[in-house]
Amino acid sequence: MTTSILGLFQQPEPAADAMDGLKEAGFELGTFDVLTGTPYPEGAFGEHVPQHRLFRFPAFGAIIGFTLSVFLTSVTQLAYPMVTGGKPILSIFAMLIIMYEMTMLAGVIATVIGIIFESRLPNMKPGIYDTRITEGWIGVVITFDDESKVADAESVLNKAGALEIKHA
Amino acid sequence: MTNEAVAHESDHHAPPPNVAADVVARELVATTTGASGRFKAWTWILGILSVVGIAALIVKFIDQGDDSTKWGYVAAMVSFLLSVAGGAPMVAMAPVMAKANWVRPITRIASLFSFAGIATLIMLIPLVAILPPLVTEGARRRTIWYMAPDYSPHIWSTLGLVLLLLTGIMLFYSAALPDFASMRDHSTGWRQRLGKRLARGWVGTDVQWRTLRMRIGMFGTFYFLILVFVNFLISTDFGQSMVPGWRDAIFPMYHTVSGFQAGVAGVVIALYFSRKYMKLEKYIHLDAFWSLGRLLFALTLLWIYFFYSSFIVFWYGRSMNDIATLDLLIKGPMIYAFFAGMILLWFVPWWILIWNKVRRGTGAMVVGSFVILLGLLIDRIRTFVPAWSVPPENIHQKWLQEIPATVWPDVFDILIMAGGISLVAFTVMMMTRVIPVLSVWQVQEFNLLAKPIRYIKGHATLVAKPD
Repeated sequence: MTTSILGLFQQPEPAADAMDGLKEAGFELGTFDVLTGTPYPEGAFGEHVPQHRLFRFPAFGAIIGFTLSVFLTSVTQLAYPMVTGGKPILSIFAMLIIMYEMTMLAGVIATVIGIIFESRLPNMKPGIYDTRITEGWIGVVITFDDESKVADAESVLNKAGALEIKHA
Repeated sequence: MTNEAVAHESDHHAPPPNVAADVVARELVATTTGASGRFKAWTWILGILSVVGIAALIVKFIDQGDDSTKWGYVAAMVSFLLSVAGGAPMVAMAPVMAKANWVRPITRIASLFSFAGIATLIMLIPLVAILPPLVTEGARRRTIWYMAPDYSPHIWSTLGLVLLLLTGIMLFYSAALPDFASMRDHSTGWRQRLGKRLARGWVGTDVQWRTLRMRIGMFGTFYFLILVFVNFLISTDFGQSMVPGWRDAIFPMYHTVSGFQAGVAGVVIALYFSRKYMKLEKYIHLDAFWSLGRLLFALTLLWIYFFYSSFIVFWYGRSMNDIATLDLLIKGPMIYAFFAGMILLWFVPWWILIWNKVRRGTGAMVVGSFVILLGLLIDRIRTFVPAWSVPPENIHQKWLQEIPATVWPDVFDILIMAGGISLVAFTVMMMTRVIPVLSVWQVQEFNLLAKPIRYIKGHATLVAKPD
């Protein structure tokens, strides 16, 4: 059973035409995507723009790191109260360095975790692919729930000028 | 095409033509294999020097681990390596954020220096063990940790450097994912297997490209914030706090900015040798050297600004600790190092880089960069060796009562310094065997967005800036 097909193009314009054709043929957004070896400007293929939450991860991590650092520095200074230079026991400037470092640490760790989620990596089932994509070719991949639409998709790809169509 | 690229060197106005994407992928992936005999010989030499340097570090720790006054050259080395290996990846980040097209092909070289942070970390380990505790005999010495637990400089400085290394590697890896996919698709043997493993199923979907852009931005921002912070920690904990009475708010910035200068110089050198000996003229255009030359020139001028801003406070201050600090760092045991550092770090590169013709070439640029690195090494010795030469029993004085004599390097110091520098070069060279020295996808992106055109009677490059 065909679950996805890949149309290969050497130039970006026909690939963009294929994307338009798929939209006009009634394929739902998210069921087709473009594969490239280099990042084309956003919207160059009229592709679907998915929402992402990557910015939330570093912010969330930074808040956790900051909170932990406030806790750590406050508790250690309250546990061993020692007046230095006539400053208060909880002196913000003495705490800032550790707070900064722990905020950064937690922010970086959360960003790494966020990337794993948001990049859909590792992609255990990369699906249909062609190594010529990293040589500058452009792939338009369509996934199907209903096999009856394969012929329609092939027709759109051929009309747009696909040089080759692969099935998986 | 190479001839056209070479012709470009003598004719500023004719940028070389773009290279087809399949040729870019094939040729750049091929750079990871088939190293020349000269490359192999240098790798062996640098590898052996690195091992000897690490062995010397261990022997020195066993032999002299109880005497902190003998560790100034290792402290200077940590600072030097942090500056070069830490500053270079900034070139992979800052111009990219400013959407400079010229930098796209060379960001990989800059980010490879992140791995050289391992050398800095290795050098730091014995130094952390030898760093005097905050509190001795009930008295707390003057540091930035005036209310923190006793272990503070040791643990937080180490953690900061580890964090910088981790963030640098993540910055590299974030941008390297598509190239690992290229290795998977076009390489063979262990490189192909490694590419497959590290590409993590990268196929180049729209979501993957969007998140790639974002994570480069995020890790780049983190890297900058952490680099400045680590420079602050190392320059204060391993420099200023070792000398009673040395209080200088400008020194950490001075340390950071000269680190940026050294980082750019390191990238220029790596770029020069990659371009020349890996035959990459058609990918590394002269624009990159012109742009880096301007950056290097500006940073060279900043060095004198920060040095003078710091110096003038002590010179006008004339208090006992101001006089003692100047005597220790400038007039006293390191006066020759001070003049040598100033000449090599500022005057000579300034005089070389001021000429447009020099910045449009590669030869004088690389000479200027070597001079900067030598000057920086001497300048770091000038600041860290006298700082560590202060006996620990004097560390609680209000100001330095007695200026220590000049400390000359012993055989261990020379081997450690040679080993540390070799380890940086060795690490960068070995990484070029794992992944293309130029980013395949960024060279392709460069070609996608830039097009050499005929403009009236001259030549120009048309650059698209889509976002």
